[in-house]
Amino acid sequence: MSILYDTDKSLKERVAASLDDDFKHNAIKTAQEVFYVGRGKLVAEMEGWEDLRRHAVEVRNHVTENLDYYVKKFATNAEANGYIMHYAPSGDDALWEVLDIFEEHGASYAVKSKSMMTEEVGLNEVLEETGIKITETDCAENILQTAGSKPSHIVVPALHFDREAIADIYRKKRGYEGTTVPEEITHYLRKILRHEFMEAEVGIRGCNFAVAETGSVTLVTNEGNGRMVDTFPKIQIVFVGIDRIVPDLESLDTMMALLPRSAVGAKMTAYFSLDSGPAGPGEIDGPEEVHIILMDNGRHTLANTEFEDMLRCMRCGACLNICPVYRHITGHGYGSIYPGPMGLVLTPGLVGYDDIDNMVFACSLCGACSEHCPVGIPIHDLIREHRIKIVEEGKNHAIEVPIFKALELFWSNVPVYKAGMVLGPPVMKALAGGGDALDASSAWIPVVKGWTSTRDFDVLSTKRFTEWFKNHEKLPTEQPKQNEEGGEQ
Amino acid sequence: MALGKKTLDDLLNPISKQLEHKGVAENVELPEWTFKAVRYTDGLSHDELVDMFAAEAEKVKVKTYRIKADGLAACIAGIVGAGTPDDGEACSVVCASDERFAAAGLYDTIEGEGLVNKLTIWDNERGQENIDDALVATYGITYATAGIAETGTIVQPTSATCGRAISLLPLVHIAVIDASTIKPTMLEIMEDIEAKGEKLPSQICFISGPSATADIELVRVEGVHGPMYVNYVIVE
Repeated sequence: MSILYDTDKSLKERVAASLDDDFKHNAIKTAQEVFYVGRGKLVAEMEGWEDLRRHAVEVRNHVTENLDYYVKKFATNAEANGYIMHYAPSGDDALWEVLDIFEEHGASYAVKSKSMMTEEVGLNEVLEETGIKITETDCAENILQTAGSKPSHIVVPALHFDREAIADIYRKKRGYEGTTVPEEITHYLRKILRHEFMEAEVGIRGCNFAVAETGSVTLVTNEGNGRMVDTFPKIQIVFVGIDRIVPDLESLDTMMALLPRSAVGAKMTAYFSLDSGPAGPGEIDGPEEVHIILMDNGRHTLANTEFEDMLRCMRCGACLNICPVYRHITGHGYGSIYPGPMGLVLTPGLVGYDDIDNMVFACSLCGACSEHCPVGIPIHDLIREHRIKIVEEGKNHAIEVPIFKALELFWSNVPVYKAGMVLGPPVMKALAGGGDALDASSAWIPVVKGWTSTRDFDVLSTKRFTEWFKNHEKLPTEQPKQNEEGGEQ
Repeated sequence: MALGKKTLDDLLNPISKQLEHKGVAENVELPEWTFKAVRYTDGLSHDELVDMFAAEAEKVKVKTYRIKADGLAACIAGIVGAGTPDDGEACSVVCASDERFAAAGLYDTIEGEGLVNKLTIWDNERGQENIDDALVATYGITYATAGIAETGTIVQPTSATCGRAISLLPLVHIAVIDASTIKPTMLEIMEDIEAKGEKLPSQICFISGPSATADIELVRVEGVHGPMYVNYVIVE
């Protein structure tokens, strides 16, 4: 996989397919609620939360403003810790470095702990093409790999499969004989993957934060697969993005106070490891040789631009957990490994505007994401910024310009996203069927369209959304202006 | 080696250019930070911190025991003797090699009472055998260097006498923590590490409860790749 996938389908087709999948909707809805409620509870009881966010913003901005210095400092100190450094300005550079490491050791078997950076460069596909076996060890990633599917959420990527489907996948592919009880399936995975951890020659992992001062890399996990990858294979490869760097251990604490709370509504994950070099003298476990792939792959182009705030992102997924559009079109609708609000900013930031279809229009600019972002990224403003640039560069419809103005007025009046969060997919599908006069480029995203049809602006600003919808339903169905809504039957 | 192998400068130059820097600065001082968050551990007495540590640990499904130093061996023997819902009759233990365990009579108690089939005390001379033992062990026993009250977390560095496998492979992890080492938040732990200024161990693992997942329908399941049960023995 690279950043974009399913590119043979249009965004519209992907959204239509996602809207038709009731299970997927409900799964995403539950996830959003669980994480959102959990986060809300923890934040409410934490008096210093806002100051913690502000501090995180100043720390991350300081690093961005001095990114070259901190990249160098981290690289230098990591090397002093005994890490073998590889520098990858591009994703392809990263792939070459990894292939070199495998070749040098004649290695052909790797275990991997979930890493978005490796997804970004399509590492699995490349390794598999060269005959290297690579096993995903995160439960969800293993399910996806076994099923040949794609992640639908950046934190819990296999939400779109229910327990029956998952049990079936393992029955067919691995000879699983147990029930569909999640506990039994999980313990089955514990058993089958344990051998793989012990036998693999190479462990591949990501890095949540890299510490410049100490040359350390870190890993935040719950399942323990990250620790297994980090403990048993003798050779280890760590993917580190240049936007993962924090200055020192104190700032690492700030990030860790924010990350699990924002990501999964927990104070801390089961495991957080701070690694500072290969196994030390006399240590029996832990890797003998660790390679760090320090990768840019387009990130630096965000610095010193209107998008530089995005370099603060710590991939917690809080913006996905609150986003009403994400709820309805799910991770697969976007066609990027970085879906949801953060994905709408990051994806074009990394790959440009040419191949992303109308992705950045899959957003109602409600601003809930920005409000919940632990590092204060004005996500919806940046999405709007992308839209403006796209229009300016003539890459999309000029019709968008007046729409943005209307939307701004609209959102300044109605906190409709709150209502949108409680609407079910059937409602969204129903909305998909209606016609629309103005908002041609986002009309096919029902949840957006439903809120942005100009004829309803006045109504919406004076009534609650749900009440409005009750009345709206009673109206005769209008004839679609263009028959291009694929989302409903 | 690929011909086009990139150097650190190849990585840095575009970044500097983008930032409109003439080159990479020799030194950048950290600014005076404007914001410092209050933490809900602020102003708590040490006793209250220990209480919070135990309470937070219980919240993340850790069983806690608060004992006096002379009760260490008996407490752990009790945990091991009680068994787990999952284990069969045979049970073995892998334990960090630590003078404090020896002094507390832990090794003698475990072996003497005939509780286990095998006790492995981590010994780097035995190499891979330690890991093989940990793979089949029901219990792994370590001495944590500190605890964190805010999150019920223990701080577990790796060393030649305490391998990573001990707190990772067995079904049950028993961690001993001196109450005196319990700090309010991770910040104090980090400050201590920086104040010492020593080279960091290859790994410091912050552990907060059993390994867990919610990847299947968001149903929480404990015991994924790490321990299914975690016990903290807090020595006061």
